[in-house]
Amino acid sequence: MSASQIVVKNLCKTYRVPEREAGVGAALKSLVHRVYRDVEAVRDVSFEIARGEFVGFIGPNGAGKTTTLKVLSGLLHPTSGEVRVLGFTPWARQHDYLRRISMVLGNKSQMLWDIPPLDSFDVLGDIYRVPPTEFKSTLDELVALLEMEDLLTKPVRNFSLGERMKCELVAGLLHRPDVLFLDEPTLGLDVSMQARLRRFFAEYNRRSGVTVILTSHYMADVTALCPRVILIHHGQLLYDGALHGLAEKLAPFKLIRLALSGTNGQSDLPPEADVVEQENGHLTLRVPRATTPTITAQLLNTLPVVDLSVEDPPIEAVIDRIYQEGTV
Amino acid sequence: MMQEARGKKWDSRITLPQVNFRGGLALIRKTWLSWVQHRSFFFLLAFGWMIPPLIYLFVWSTAAGGGTVGGFSRGQFVAYYLVLIVVNQLTYSQTNWTVGDVIRYGGMNMQLLRPLSPVFDALSSEVAGKVVYILFIVPVTAVLALWLRPELHVTLRNGLAFIPALALAWALRFFWGYWLALLAFWATRADALLALQDALIFLLAGQVAPTALLPGVLRQAAVWLPFRYMVGFPVEVLTGQLNATGILTGFAFQLGWLAVALALFSVMWRAGVKRYSAVGG
Repeated sequence: MSASQIVVKNLCKTYRVPEREAGVGAALKSLVHRVYRDVEAVRDVSFEIARGEFVGFIGPNGAGKTTTLKVLSGLLHPTSGEVRVLGFTPWARQHDYLRRISMVLGNKSQMLWDIPPLDSFDVLGDIYRVPPTEFKSTLDELVALLEMEDLLTKPVRNFSLGERMKCELVAGLLHRPDVLFLDEPTLGLDVSMQARLRRFFAEYNRRSGVTVILTSHYMADVTALCPRVILIHHGQLLYDGALHGLAEKLAPFKLIRLALSGTNGQSDLPPEADVVEQENGHLTLRVPRATTPTITAQLLNTLPVVDLSVEDPPIEAVIDRIYQEGTV
Repeated sequence: MMQEARGKKWDSRITLPQVNFRGGLALIRKTWLSWVQHRSFFFLLAFGWMIPPLIYLFVWSTAAGGGTVGGFSRGQFVAYYLVLIVVNQLTYSQTNWTVGDVIRYGGMNMQLLRPLSPVFDALSSEVAGKVVYILFIVPVTAVLALWLRPELHVTLRNGLAFIPALALAWALRFFWGYWLALLAFWATRADALLALQDALIFLLAGQVAPTALLPGVLRQAAVWLPFRYMVGFPVEVLTGQLNATGILTGFAFQLGWLAVALALFSVMWRAGVKRYSAVGG
């Protein structure tokens, strides 16, 4: 209990949004009489996160991920519920709290465009009161990890999206936060830059012991980095646990990929196996998780198998099913 | 339930200024570095602000001709308006125009996440701006002065009183505009009120005419409303239009209105952030 750095209990956040129909008449009416609608962005969400954990926060657009992150970082105060991060109430926004957290947003920048990043970093060092020697060593370490020595003295306006993201990360980590909120940090980046940043996040988490909550729509980010995932949908917590557990729980089937020699023996397939794909002697079958071993043995006995592999369905497919159906 | 109550208690603490001078100074430095990159843009802005007072300088000095209008000779009008150009430039808070955008487009999130009050962001562009404007306005006014030959006799008393009058005028104009700009927390086009403020300053702060020359009702309005104390008052002090009583009364009005502006700023800020963190940025 006391080991948890982030404690969220029964968190609810309801937005009150003005509502009106399109058109001039409705606009005039809304001047006199405003109609509001309550939108429950987060409903009764509870979880705890221990020091040094790397947790993936997943859910479709509008699920309540960003709202939850904004509550945790102090930008929003909840409608009800209890939240403690590092022992602080986030929305009091005490400087002692803000100095120990960091929020990096993939679509917002805290760099000034017209001056080199080094100048922006210096200012952040002062704002966060980082002692000069520590500032130097942290900066050197981050710059080396992100391989960005050559960027430090050029104006930010000339940077690519990936280069700018590197700067955002340095800016967000200069004060060595204990808790790091990463909201879509790889948004819009190319594949190799995403991979590079993933390596950085993993390495930085290992070295510094920082607690990280990551939201991303790229499942590759989540599978590479987060041993634990929290799945939110329609503002509710649907799953909290290991990533592979999510696949097991959600996808009660496995995929068997076969390469056959000669004719395909589709007539000999067991009845539980559904054919997902069939092409040039390659066959993909979907079989119930529990019967996978027996079916595999049966296939090896009855078919001219050249190659066989058993896989979990791709995580994207699993997630897509939950997003569509809204339940686990 | 208990947490609810605790949340409420914290809310009242949210806006207590937690002063961070090192950070504030650093921010000023950074903003300035960034602005110096755009000198020419700010010079153009400054040039634009100079035009209306310059027009009235010519109107009134022409009207005075060889004689006087309302006790002002041609040279005195020139002096009055040249000082006004400088004072107007140094007290103009262009930052207030951007506060609304920062709130609307989510820039406030980044500012609220830092252990530094967002008012420092506005103050830093103020200071950075003034330094850039001085680079423009001092040489330009000097050239105008050589050409137009103002009649200005600065006494020690007026010179000394001018400095705090100018500083208070800036503070009043800044915080008055800032609290208006904070209405952007509630309304999307709060900057219409800033345009209204500019119009009232134009009319009542000594730009159209020195306050002393305004007709009865307008002069009364100018004396009692805050706008004269944002621009006109320091100009009147330096150009020797006020006696000791006038100067002291002026300071009293300036301080009174500054207190009102600060109180409104503080209330608006507190309520605005509370609303912002309730509805989301």
